[in-house]
Amino acid sequence: MGHLYTTREKYAPEQLEEMRKKYTSPELVCCAGSREIIDREVVFVGIGISDLAGAVAKLVHTPNVILVAEAGYIGFPSVAVLISPADNAAGTMAMCHQSLPEVFIDQQSGFIDVAYLGFAQMDKSGNVNVSYITGKQLKMNGSGGGGDIASSAGRVVYTVEFNPRQWVKKIDYMTEPGFLDGSRDARKKANLVGGGPSAVATNRGVFRFDPETHELYLAEVFPWQDEEDIEEVRKSFPWDLKVAEELKIMEPPTERELWALRLMDSTSNYILASVIDRPIGKIILAGKLNLEGYDEYLGLQEKALREILEFVS
Amino acid sequence: MAIKGLGTINYEERTKDTDYKKRLNKVMTEREAVETFLHDGDSFCIGGFVMWRQPESVMREIARQGKKNLSLIDESGTFEGIDLLVELGILDRIDTAYAITRQVGGISGTPALERGLKEGLPRPVEAGGVLATPKDKVKSDMPPLKIVDWTNFQVALRFVAGAFNIPFMPCRSSIGSDIPKYNKEIKEINDPYENKPLILIPAYKPDVAFISVQRADRRGNGQIWGFKGTDYWKARAAKYVVLLTEELVPTEKIYENPGLTVIPAYCTDAVVHLPFNCHPTGCFGCYTVDSINFISLLLQRQSREGALKWLDEWVYGCKNHFEYCDKLGWEKLDRLAKSEHKLNRIPG
Repeated sequence: MGHLYTTREKYAPEQLEEMRKKYTSPELVCCAGSREIIDREVVFVGIGISDLAGAVAKLVHTPNVILVAEAGYIGFPSVAVLISPADNAAGTMAMCHQSLPEVFIDQQSGFIDVAYLGFAQMDKSGNVNVSYITGKQLKMNGSGGGGDIASSAGRVVYTVEFNPRQWVKKIDYMTEPGFLDGSRDARKKANLVGGGPSAVATNRGVFRFDPETHELYLAEVFPWQDEEDIEEVRKSFPWDLKVAEELKIMEPPTERELWALRLMDSTSNYILASVIDRPIGKIILAGKLNLEGYDEYLGLQEKALREILEFVS
Repeated sequence: MAIKGLGTINYEERTKDTDYKKRLNKVMTEREAVETFLHDGDSFCIGGFVMWRQPESVMREIARQGKKNLSLIDESGTFEGIDLLVELGILDRIDTAYAITRQVGGISGTPALERGLKEGLPRPVEAGGVLATPKDKVKSDMPPLKIVDWTNFQVALRFVAGAFNIPFMPCRSSIGSDIPKYNKEIKEINDPYENKPLILIPAYKPDVAFISVQRADRRGNGQIWGFKGTDYWKARAAKYVVLLTEELVPTEKIYENPGLTVIPAYCTDAVVHLPFNCHPTGCFGCYTVDSINFISLLLQRQSREGALKWLDEWVYGCKNHFEYCDKLGWEKLDRLAKSEHKLNRIPG
């Protein structure tokens, strides 16, 4: 875990400035997240960025992990980024086609070592809200299997793009239990199976939890994040965020990681945030709802899948 | 020794009206199946999981038949199909883990639910005991659409308990979170053996389960390829089970792969032979997700006017699923099938 470290001195100031602009936020999140796994672990992936991180890990760092998607696909070679946990691509070359309750039963038995999840709000002790945002915003989403995963997976790695609004003193609604009240054996007392959150990988550094107090702290940053940047990150928190005494400097995304990312997200569904910027949005906005549009979009998908299948087989 | 009179009993006739599960030939049209089994005020569930193997044609048929006061239970459904029923105010209650105002690349994945929550149209929304449509926005006197929050595993366990024919299933998911706090149907206990906290999930037996399968015979043996979701538990928990099958095969074909028959005939009440019934969602081994259709219909349905126009065109404008396919164009559906066959294929 947490390999690929470097020093700031390795890079010239101009190089750092160039790197800061070079990578998109989802790329940074996925690459940082993908380094959180140990080989041969059983890894539960969600959808979008959390699936991409698992896919990059499988392709680049830890080839012997077993990926699990909640609809019932187990041991797939991460054929493409998943739009849904029931995606056909997860079924292709999978070791096992299962049902949904069985996957969660296996998880409650402790077979899942690590899981990737996202979130909308998090507090100091790693408790998470993805469902209801109250107040003026009034948003709902639904946690899906998130609550189950955070309860029972061995550990949870959160992968999110950094957003100052997501850190709150008190979350509006708790869907995913973290360290609850933060006391030492809160999870054990609640009879939760899993070990709770272990890391939060963002584009502004990786955060971890203090083993004693279970408090979130900044543990790793990218080489271009100077004192000023770290101070800005700290200011986004409504509490006084602690920074590790020996703050580690991560390697920027490697060529290999970026290659895996692009291979997986061939239709840029996750690297581009807005649907109108994506190839599919462009096809629709150009009014190509006929067979020609279908050929274009599905052709794009098929080409990428062919490349991946060639690589994994 | 021949038993007197046995030859004259027509078992097919005898069981015709009373017991659907005992029929030898359960083939029906979709319209017939929805008319026969789903009544106003009923609860129902659909098979599959987000974007895959979900009988979307049933949602359109329910809308076409103008059902009322239905309740739906689903772990993580296609928000598109559920949203269609929300737009028409058909649903009174949704029990779900994830089908709510999700964003799809910056556009709303469930525009009708979002309108309900923010503007009270077509009816106000009350979600999880936490959120509700602001009082000054409530225009209609219709009772609010109630949304009850669960996790995926918990919804699945409701069907498992229903299938087990026991009142609840215990589990260790989401203890200490706000889901059991606000959802009053979840009970938290100290278990009588180890005296540790545990939560109890009540059983659920929906009136009807609509389940898409890749292959079924006339008697109702359903075979599923790919992920199974919670489908075979749903089939055992529900009072009536309607299979929508991509392919209707003779029973000899079922004998070839008995391991894939996850829904045996005694569960099934009706078999509807309806190719492409999951469109715009996908079906493993048969056709892939129609993302172009999905995104463009979402774009259209962002406003209430657009949504009603879409309904006129694609739901009321088509008499049945086949007219829907005609309208869409079979060559596009064919293209989706071809795309899926490059990855996965159901052996012939």
